[in-house]
Amino acid sequence: MINLVRAELIRLVTRRFTLVMVALLLGAFAVTLATTAASTERPTAAELARAEQLAEAERVSAREVRDQCEQAQRPDAPRELRARFQGVDCQAFGPETVRTENFLPGVFSFTGSIRDLVMFLSAFLSLFGFLVGASFVGAELTSGGMTNLLLWRPRRLQVLSAKLGTLLAGVVGLAVAATVLYVGAFWALAEVAGLPGDQSAQLWRELALVCLRGVGLAVVAASIGFAVATAGRHTSTAVGLAAGYAVVWEIGARIVMMIVGTRQPGRWMLSSYLAAWMNGRSDQWDDATGSYTIHWWHAGLLFAVLLGVVVGGAFAQFRRRDLA
Amino acid sequence: MAGGAYCTGVTPVIEIHDLRKTFRGRRGSRRALDGFDMVVEAGQVHGFLGPNGSGKTTTLRTLLGLVNADAGRMTVLGQPAPAALPAVADRIGAIVESPQFFGNFTGRHTLRLLAMAGGVPAARVDEALELVGLRDRAGERVRAYSLGMKQRLAVASVLLKRPELLILDEPANGLDPAGIREMRELVGRLAADGATVLVSSHILAEIQQICDSVTIISRGRRVTSGPVDEVLARHDKGEFRVRVAEHRRAAGLLSEAGVPVTVHDDHLVVSDIADPAWISQTLGRHGMWVSELTPLTPDLESVFLELTGTTPTAGIPRQVGQSVQPERAEEPGVPAISVWAPPRDEEPA
Repeated sequence: MINLVRAELIRLVTRRFTLVMVALLLGAFAVTLATTAASTERPTAAELARAEQLAEAERVSAREVRDQCEQAQRPDAPRELRARFQGVDCQAFGPETVRTENFLPGVFSFTGSIRDLVMFLSAFLSLFGFLVGASFVGAELTSGGMTNLLLWRPRRLQVLSAKLGTLLAGVVGLAVAATVLYVGAFWALAEVAGLPGDQSAQLWRELALVCLRGVGLAVVAASIGFAVATAGRHTSTAVGLAAGYAVVWEIGARIVMMIVGTRQPGRWMLSSYLAAWMNGRSDQWDDATGSYTIHWWHAGLLFAVLLGVVVGGAFAQFRRRDLA
Repeated sequence: MAGGAYCTGVTPVIEIHDLRKTFRGRRGSRRALDGFDMVVEAGQVHGFLGPNGSGKTTTLRTLLGLVNADAGRMTVLGQPAPAALPAVADRIGAIVESPQFFGNFTGRHTLRLLAMAGGVPAARVDEALELVGLRDRAGERVRAYSLGMKQRLAVASVLLKRPELLILDEPANGLDPAGIREMRELVGRLAADGATVLVSSHILAEIQQICDSVTIISRGRRVTSGPVDEVLARHDKGEFRVRVAEHRRAAGLLSEAGVPVTVHDDHLVVSDIADPAWISQTLGRHGMWVSELTPLTPDLESVFLELTGTTPTAGIPRQVGQSVQPERAEEPGVPAISVWAPPRDEEPA
């Protein structure tokens, strides 16, 4: 089994498609870093002091608005005030949401931007996982490599498990390395030519959680791509299914649901759960029910069921079917 | 003897009995194997012949666990297949149908990965490449290989394991004449070293040269099987080509004596003859002296075409699947189609 996994690992890392995708990842990484580096400069003490002044003024204003909002929630509040803040979360106006870096245009702030940057990285890693996962098994099934391998090791489930396990280990390894490198590079950039910001322990905890969820999403995407390509015997099955889902369901069905007035249509969309998974929650709204929330654990549950059905189904089918 | 049509007392390496497989699809179903039987004995080179679409590759794929049989019983190296294939896989080397490899890897890289997955020492890779003549091209991508080179690579992959049983489906496919000869010599060497070889091919002259025994399949059923010499002997009609002056008069004399005679432009073909001296004596008694008396022994190609009913007819294209369908054997392993002629131990009257 160890020999098989070693062979699969070498097969994975020497495949041209894998190398191209890694090159694209590094390229996107380099372009993002280079454009950020080119558009940032270290703020002078005077710029920093002025930004701090503006931020403080904004905090005072935000505090006033929050106080008004909290007053509006009381039963004896004037009608006008109640109407102004109806259905509004008062914590959104908190002074803690005001950051000094918001008043420093042209300065890259690590604490202000890293979350969005990690989201972008996670999206790329998920795409990488899906495509490499689908191609890793799809090309083997199409080229006859799988048949050759099964002539050497006529244990289908063991061979497929070794392939999937190797793929997921590779995706996790790459995702962790890329994330550490990515966050580290932007941290260094902020230290040298930007604003590091207030790097509290809470920030690092939240960042670590987002990074972890990004790696998890890449693993889910790789597993789904692998399983769909296994079931369809071709890489294009997975790619086609993903494209079809995006166009037919996420766009087409969403429009139809809006026309017929379906309640809480976001609950039927994978994209809502992806957003909830990465952000911790996804607040949605529709005319019929008003606002509703999808939490990260809803997404986790959905992904677990999806993985069980798709991967389990692919393995069950592969165990019995005739191979060309 | 279990399921075999012949017996030499040697242990069977492959036994297939009453194998059945129907492929079902959206456009209907196709019965690929319909009660097929085969026995391959240890140490033999066994030819597996049949027209296109007769079930050869399905048989091999089923034997190797790539296709699921609907019914039937198979053993390989004494173990039930496909259930116990993992236990004997290290002793089997197989190429099924056209060689297929991942095009972006080099030949050497392809073999190294297979060797690693199978726990074969990496040093064996270069030995196998040398054996099949790919040593100098092993660093090129498989995509750039010709069909013949891919075939050589496939054979090299089989040789990595030093298998006891080789299953080669069309190993000469795409090879040049020299390559075909090299393949023949390689199969001969492997057999001489004690390996059992099951080889499927349409190059019947090759099969006749290298095989000890054959099985012929048509439309999913066995048509005949046995040692090559025996299969040919069963179809020996005792024919002789006879050249003689006044050959039309000679034909009349021989016909009057009760033997079938076919008259050609400058010679006769006389059938059902056990002792050719009888022809010389018969014609000599009438003052006719034979200038040529040649036995017409059948070759594997003519036997194959006759048994499978695939002899080409001028102007009528034959469709794939158009071949003889033998009746099912009443007893396991006994072909129902009659391919056995009684020995001719008496002279015609």
